[in-house]
Amino acid sequence: MNAPFYKFNYFNSDISLVVAFLIGIGFGFALEKGGFGSARILAAQFYLSNMRVLKVMFSAIVTAMLGVYFLGVIGWLDLKLIYMTETYILPQALGGLILGVGFVIGGYCPGTSVVSFSTGSIDGLMYILGAFFGIFVFGEIYPLISNFYNSTNLGVITLPEVLHLPYGMVVFLVVIMALGAFLLAELSERKFAFRNPENEK
Amino acid sequence: MESVSKIVSDLFEKDQEFVEPKPKPYSDPYLVGIGLGLVLLAAFVIMGRGLGASGAMSSIVAYGVNSLAPEHASSNDFYKEYIGDGTTNPLKDWLVFEVLGVLAGGFISGTLSGRIRVRVEKGNNISKKKRLLFAFIGGSLMGFGAKLARGCTSGQALTGGALLNFGSWIFMIMIFVGGYLFAYFLRRQWL
Amino acid sequence: MNLLRKLNRKQKLALIAFLLGLIALFAGSPYDSNSVKINVKEIALSTIKDSDKIKPEILADWIIQGKSDFVLIDLRTPDEYEKYSLPEAENIPLVNLTDAELYKNQKLILLSSDNVQSAQGWFLLKSKGFKNVYILDGGIVGWKANVLFPKQKPNMSKEELALFEKKKAVTFYFGGKVLNDSGISESNSEFNLPVQSSKQNKTSSAVNQKKKKREGC
Repeated sequence: MNAPFYKFNYFNSDISLVVAFLIGIGFGFALEKGGFGSARILAAQFYLSNMRVLKVMFSAIVTAMLGVYFLGVIGWLDLKLIYMTETYILPQALGGLILGVGFVIGGYCPGTSVVSFSTGSIDGLMYILGAFFGIFVFGEIYPLISNFYNSTNLGVITLPEVLHLPYGMVVFLVVIMALGAFLLAELSERKFAFRNPENEK
Repeated sequence: MESVSKIVSDLFEKDQEFVEPKPKPYSDPYLVGIGLGLVLLAAFVIMGRGLGASGAMSSIVAYGVNSLAPEHASSNDFYKEYIGDGTTNPLKDWLVFEVLGVLAGGFISGTLSGRIRVRVEKGNNISKKKRLLFAFIGGSLMGFGAKLARGCTSGQALTGGALLNFGSWIFMIMIFVGGYLFAYFLRRQWL
Repeated sequence: MNLLRKLNRKQKLALIAFLLGLIALFAGSPYDSNSVKINVKEIALSTIKDSDKIKPEILADWIIQGKSDFVLIDLRTPDEYEKYSLPEAENIPLVNLTDAELYKNQKLILLSSDNVQSAQGWFLLKSKGFKNVYILDGGIVGWKANVLFPKQKPNMSKEELALFEKKKAVTFYFGGKVLNDSGISESNSEFNLPVQSSKQNKTSSAVNQKKKKREGC
C-alpha cells in the first residue's frame, strides 16, 4: 500500500467525493471548535487581542508539515504525487493583500464563512454571497487581467528549492518560527486581554 | 400569592436558561490546530491534495453563469476551467463535496457545543445593517483576491504552507500584511 | 523527569514539536533519493516473471486502441532511439533512468534492443520502490519479428491463416511489411524501417502525458 491512495487508483472518483465530504466534516468541525465561526474572534487577530487564527493555522501547518515530511522520509508517502499549486509571485502577493483587506473588512475567509453560516450567522451568509460576487467580477474581467494573472510564473517550487536549503532544515526552521510566533501570540493576548471578545461572555 | 409569583418567575428564569443555554467555550487552539493538521494530513495521504474552499465557490459561480448564459461562459477561459468539457456536472467536484462536508461539520460541532444561533456577528459600535454590508464587501474582496492568488486561506495558506510551497508562503505573509495595514481603519467595526 | 512533569500542556506540545523539528534537521530528504537502497534478499528473490513481460502483439493492440494508461520508455541510446522506436515511446537511456521524472503511480513499460537492458532497468526501478513496472518481451528485436516484419510460414492451416491476416493489419498499421519464409537473408536484415513523424512530441516528459485535472482551488 502506497500513499497518496487516490493517485494509486485504490478507489475511484465517485468514492473520492465521499472522502471529500468526510474530510470536509473534519475540517468544518475543527474550524468551529477552534472558534472560527465567529467573525469577532477572527477579526480580533488583527487587533492582537485574540490570536486563535495564528495559533490554529500554524499548529495545523506544523502538524501536517511534520507528518508529510516523516511519511515521505520513510518512503511511504510520495511527495511528488501531492498536488501543489504553481507559484505566480505577483498575482499571489497582490491576491494575498486583497484577501487580507477583505478579511479585516468582512471578518471571515471563505472556509470560515461557511462554518459561520452553518451555525446560523447571517453575516456569514452575506459574506458568502459577497464572495460569489467577487468571483463573478473576477470571471468577468478575467480576459482583461489574464496577462497579469499568468505573470511571474515559477512553476511548482518549494521553499527548500528557493532557499537552497535541505528540506529537513526548512522544516526545522518553520517549527522554530511557529514556536516563536506562539510565544509572541501568548504575550500579546495577555497585553490586550481587555479587548478580547472571548473574555466578554 | 408571593410564593406563586416567585414560582412563576423561577419558571420563567429557567425557561430563559433553556432557550439560551450558555455555549461551551472554544477549545484549546493548539489542540484544534493539531486536529486540523491531521485532517489536512489525511487529505494528503488519502487524496494527494489539500483542502480548499474558494474553489467550490468558483464552481458554483461558473455553474450559475453557465446555466444563465452558456455562450458567454464558454467564451471565457476562467469559467471554462470550472465547467470542464461538459461531460460532467461542474458541481460534481471534489471541493464542492468537501465544502458541503464543512457545512455539516460546522453544524455538528456547533450543535454539540450549543453554539447554533441565528445571529449577526458584530462589534459593539456598529449597526447590523452596516455590518452586513461590510461582510458583503469583505466577501467580494476575498473572492476576487482568492481567485487572483489561485486559492484562499485553506487552499493556499494552509495546504501550501504545510507543503512548503513558495507561492503559498508569499501569499500567507501578504494576508497578514493586508490585514494589519487595514485594521486601523476598521477599528470602529470590531472594537 | 521531574522537570517534564512540571511542564504544562502547551509547553509539552512545544517540546514535542521542537524535538520532531530537530530530528527533521538530520533525517534527510523526504523525496526519493538517487542512491538506491537495495534489499539484497528481496531483489534476489524477485525475478522477472512472465506476468511482468508484455508481448509485442499485446502492446501493439494497446497502442492501436489508443490506451494511454502506461508510459513507454525506450532505454537505448538517443542515436538508436532516433533511428527507430515505437510510437509513443519516450527516450530515457538506462544511465539516466534513476534521475528521470517518473511517478510511482504510472504503469511503466521498459524496452531496449532485447531483454537484457530492460531487465536491468526493471530491477533498478523495482529497488526504488516502483511496483508497476513491465518490460516489452524481446525488446525491439521481438517487436520487429512479431509486429513489424512477421514471417509467413508456408503450409499454414486455415485458422493460422485467419490469425495471420489479423496480424497483417497490425503490421500495416505500424508501417511494417510481411515477409515470406524464403524472403530476406540475415545479412540483409536492415529492413526499411518505417519513417516516424512528429518525433519531437515523443520526447515530452511523462508529466505532460498525464491528464491534467484541476486540483487546486
